[in-house]
Amino acid sequence: MSQKLTCVGKRITQKDVLLKATGEARYVPDVRLPGMLWGKVLHSPYPHAKIKKIDKSKAEKLPGVAAVITVEDAPKILWARSFRDMPMAPSGALQRADEYILADKARYVGDPVAAIAAVDEKTAEEALELIEVDYEQLPFVLDPFEAIKPGAPLVHDYAKNNMAVHLTPPPFLVKGDVEKGFAESDVVVEEKFFVSKQVACQMETQSCVASVDSSGKITCYSPCQLAHPFRRELGKMFNVPVGKINVINPFVGGSFGCRLSCHNEPICVLLSMKTHKPVKLVYSKEEDFISIDTRTPHYYTVKMGFKKDGTLNAMNLDVTTWAGGYLSRAQLAGGITLIWGLGHYRCPNMNGSCDVIYTNTTVAGAGRGFGNPAIMWGVEEVVDMAAEKLGMNPVELRLKNTKQTGEMANMGLPIESSYIDDCIREGARAIGWDEKRGKNKGGNGTLKRGVGMATMTHCSGAWPLLIEHSNAFIKFNEDGTADLTVNPGSPGTHIWGTLSQIAAEGLGIPVEDIYIVTGETDKTMFDLGSHASRSTYVTGNAVLEAARLAKKQLLERAGKILSESPDDLDVRDRQIYVKSNPEKKTSVANVCSQAIYNLKGDSMNISGKSSWCSHYNSIPTAAYFAEVEVDTETGEVKILNFVTAVDCGKAINPMTVEGQCEGGVQQGVGYGLTEDYVINKNTGAVESNNFTSYKMPGTMDMPETTKTIIIDKPDPKGPFGAKGVGEPGLVGVAPAIGNAIHDAVGVWMKDLPATPEKILKALMEKSPQQD
Amino acid sequence: MKKEIINLTVNGTLHEISVEPQVTLNEVLREQLDLTGTKLSCGAGECGACTVLIDGKPELSCCTLAMTANGKDILTIEGLARDGELHPLQKAFVECGAIQCGFCTPGMLLTSKALLDENPDPTREEVKSYLSGNLCRCTGYVKIVDAVLAAATEMNKGGK
Amino acid sequence: MFRTLKPFGYFEPKTIEEAIGALSVHGAKAKVLAGGVDLVPRLRKRQAHPEYMINIQQIEELDGIIKETAEGLRIGALASLRSIELSPLVKKNYFVLHEAIHSIASIQVKTQGTAVGNLCVATPASDVAPALLVLDAKFRIVGPSGEKTVPAENFYLGVGQTVLQPNEIITEILLPKPQAKTGGAFLKLVRTAADIAKVNAAATLTMADGACKEARIAVGSVATTVLRVKKAEGVLKEQKLDLKVIETAARAAAEEVKPISDLRSTAEYRKETTRVLVKRALEKALERAKA
Repeated sequence: MSQKLTCVGKRITQKDVLLKATGEARYVPDVRLPGMLWGKVLHSPYPHAKIKKIDKSKAEKLPGVAAVITVEDAPKILWARSFRDMPMAPSGALQRADEYILADKARYVGDPVAAIAAVDEKTAEEALELIEVDYEQLPFVLDPFEAIKPGAPLVHDYAKNNMAVHLTPPPFLVKGDVEKGFAESDVVVEEKFFVSKQVACQMETQSCVASVDSSGKITCYSPCQLAHPFRRELGKMFNVPVGKINVINPFVGGSFGCRLSCHNEPICVLLSMKTHKPVKLVYSKEEDFISIDTRTPHYYTVKMGFKKDGTLNAMNLDVTTWAGGYLSRAQLAGGITLIWGLGHYRCPNMNGSCDVIYTNTTVAGAGRGFGNPAIMWGVEEVVDMAAEKLGMNPVELRLKNTKQTGEMANMGLPIESSYIDDCIREGARAIGWDEKRGKNKGGNGTLKRGVGMATMTHCSGAWPLLIEHSNAFIKFNEDGTADLTVNPGSPGTHIWGTLSQIAAEGLGIPVEDIYIVTGETDKTMFDLGSHASRSTYVTGNAVLEAARLAKKQLLERAGKILSESPDDLDVRDRQIYVKSNPEKKTSVANVCSQAIYNLKGDSMNISGKSSWCSHYNSIPTAAYFAEVEVDTETGEVKILNFVTAVDCGKAINPMTVEGQCEGGVQQGVGYGLTEDYVINKNTGAVESNNFTSYKMPGTMDMPETTKTIIIDKPDPKGPFGAKGVGEPGLVGVAPAIGNAIHDAVGVWMKDLPATPEKILKALMEKSPQQD
Repeated sequence: MKKEIINLTVNGTLHEISVEPQVTLNEVLREQLDLTGTKLSCGAGECGACTVLIDGKPELSCCTLAMTANGKDILTIEGLARDGELHPLQKAFVECGAIQCGFCTPGMLLTSKALLDENPDPTREEVKSYLSGNLCRCTGYVKIVDAVLAAATEMNKGGK
Repeated sequence: MFRTLKPFGYFEPKTIEEAIGALSVHGAKAKVLAGGVDLVPRLRKRQAHPEYMINIQQIEELDGIIKETAEGLRIGALASLRSIELSPLVKKNYFVLHEAIHSIASIQVKTQGTAVGNLCVATPASDVAPALLVLDAKFRIVGPSGEKTVPAENFYLGVGQTVLQPNEIITEILLPKPQAKTGGAFLKLVRTAADIAKVNAAATLTMADGACKEARIAVGSVATTVLRVKKAEGVLKEQKLDLKVIETAARAAAEEVKPISDLRSTAEYRKETTRVLVKRALEKALERAKA
């Protein structure tokens, strides 16, 4: 890529960020429509219960209450919160429609069983306490291993032994003879791990404003990341043509995977249908914690065998994924752990399995990184354990086994570009690996220091597991500015800015001249949505192609004005000039204006439209390095320094890339050390149901220094060489910290979060205190 | 319950408002005055997203009954820019990449303003400490702290 | 589950007498409101159901003044945690109290919340209470039958329970003059910085002629109330304080506590780290007493 870039690669602030600094940015809870009612949901207090009868008469009589709805009022159609029939290339339609808009039977504490619309929120909440539900409590099961035992309570009748699905790795990740591979290995490490149900903790709670007008048109303000698939699901659910539905994504207050599903939106739409008025439904933080999708928790075994020289020879992963009362994306997030785990290193013999099991717990679905942070916790710990046994430097052991450009990547396609070795080397240098690794164990009394590392490969979209289809439309306005129409919402990833930079570079006009049109399914063409670190890569390529087509039209029009061949023209500084004679030029504005207000009869709005489907998948890679200090008397871990070295191809906007990585560190620190989703074993209730009880890191819990190194080498397939970077920031953070803890105090933490309680216990078991 | 009349000066404008006693300042700002820049997230005093300045001090609007703010001076995010001119903190947050989803931003900005009013030249550690009651899930706080320090430098240079 | 509060009656007394009168009429149906940072979230969670709210912020006789008196220091009932933290008098003479409040992370909570409010919540995890216990604080309490003074140590009865009657209010916190050669320290363990303590410990040591004249140690979050660990204190008294004596006292402290396992930590961890925190607090206090 030899062209000189004028916009891509620059630290440019996305335009709408200003509105977030002034308080003008409106999120779903800020939307107010004329005549709007407030909704409220009644959630089951029991993990498993038959709903015998719901008496809503008292609630209905409360002045101000407009409607009380239950499963009786809902369409008799099962739906999938993760959207049915999303085309899954190798494995068919795995999404299962397994729930009604309101529960027919309560399957977890938090399952919505009834809902209210009232004149204001206070009245709706008052009415909630007047609904009388006659529950018949049923035996329940919270633990996946209990759930598959014969005779365990059944969460869904269709799923025998609560087994939602049993998965094996895709054929390209089943290789050689695993048993033979282990037998021929010199060092074999096998360990069990557990990772907990991390909560998205997006700051804006789950919200919806829905309005169904007299023509039957549904307008739904929702934070859902997959607006178009959601619109289709709404259409099926209510038997309404898709054209009658407009899903609007206003500003979204964080996502991190939980917005891949829709949650209270169908309830809100149903309330609006019943009342013929717009309805706003905003969950409290407690409702968020118990009834929107969490990350999938997993129990798993990692077994890896190495040759004496450090070559990985065999690998096996057995994963048990703990779905909740409904499936959401647990089957995908579970199954894909095999892809991340087995697909990361070069290995001749490998296999694995994954069971996805229903339990009477809050639904587990997508979380940023989609199973990758979960599995890499164990894989990267096992690599360090093996390094110890082999007597090898963990840096060298990883360098020996990393896959290179051209080898087969995790999704079964050739690696378009990988600079993982640069990530490892540069990260190691930045953390001071050689000076610090294994060097400070005896120092500083009860405070021991250590460094640790981890690596990962991720994806830019989910092709070929999932169709990766995006559309972009660019039209030039009469003053030479351009409107870029795309769909991805903006959960805070600055994707609008990234896409604007791609468009500006592609068109040859300043980024200030690009205006984004987005956020409504009515206005935009199909886009799968924001997931799997895809938008920069897939939508970005769509934008680049639309820009190429629009620029072609622009130069053709300019060619007529300048009496030159379009091939001899180019665009710079809002001017179209003749390449061989730059003094001969006309302005972009002039060309666009003459095209629109054209009295000669050949008017046109200069534009470009592209439908883009990825048929390749460029993998971002990264290496993470942590330096920690462990207090051997309390088990507390302080993170001194953290380095993320990321190979995301060409960084369209380095400031945005850093922001994604720095935010990933916060989530990874929480995943690794503090965030614990606690379910009461006796009642099934979620005990960690707010920020008081579920602790995510604040300013003081972050590393003293956080550094992001961007390798910045272009990928051949991404727009201007970019790969996805939305999720990688988080993936290897926890294992780098875990490995640093081991370097500091010599204990391996296997269960997340690695709390001081667990660390101290491990330390005491390692060397019993001398009295 | 009986409604009572209270007087709130919000962003320099005096409002006479009729409220029931259980109504919080957060509800008055958002629902009655349509100042939706002030957010509500946890409702438990843990996240700081609802922070406003009451008589110049950072307080949680979700934990404040509107009645108890009677007669007080309240600054919300909508009042931080003056005469169309952004506050240096707002400029710095925008320029430093300190804003991602933006839901914590109003609370972060107002808490940061209270800090710089109290301590115009804070250290990095002091900024982190002062912002420890404001949660953010997007940024890892790095660029937020950078922005506060940049704004402090800018304000000290301008002699404001 | 809720976002709004349930309706209640609201009263803004102008005098202490009016407040006591209102509290006497409504008894347990009324709640006293000061900063609201603890109470309002509990109302939202439907964990408290007052029919009447008595806002004491407008009582003219109450204030938030922190001043030196002949006996020591006086902190008004309306003093915010933040104002106490920032008070030069507190920093100079009652550093352990400064340190305890400094450990509370949220500026907003400290700006809005009062020390007295924190005490009346009677959580065993209070950071303020252990500091006040080791400073030998007293609370001035006013009720229908007049005024009394209660030592901080006798204030707590159990989780959420104090000797304060529903129609009484605390008007002042009183701290005795600091003795010479006294040092104090406060330490706590938390899940994240902005958290209530898993375990906390406060200690003050007064030294004379190289020996410990007086020792006070209080711990939090390890029993139904914050408590003084007197056996541990006894170990130190009249002793020359070396590491061994301090370790013995710390072990005694760990023996005296009765922690439970809950969401924040485990009983075993709390017992073990009580020892560690008490040891470290004593070491720090000793260092400061010598300085």
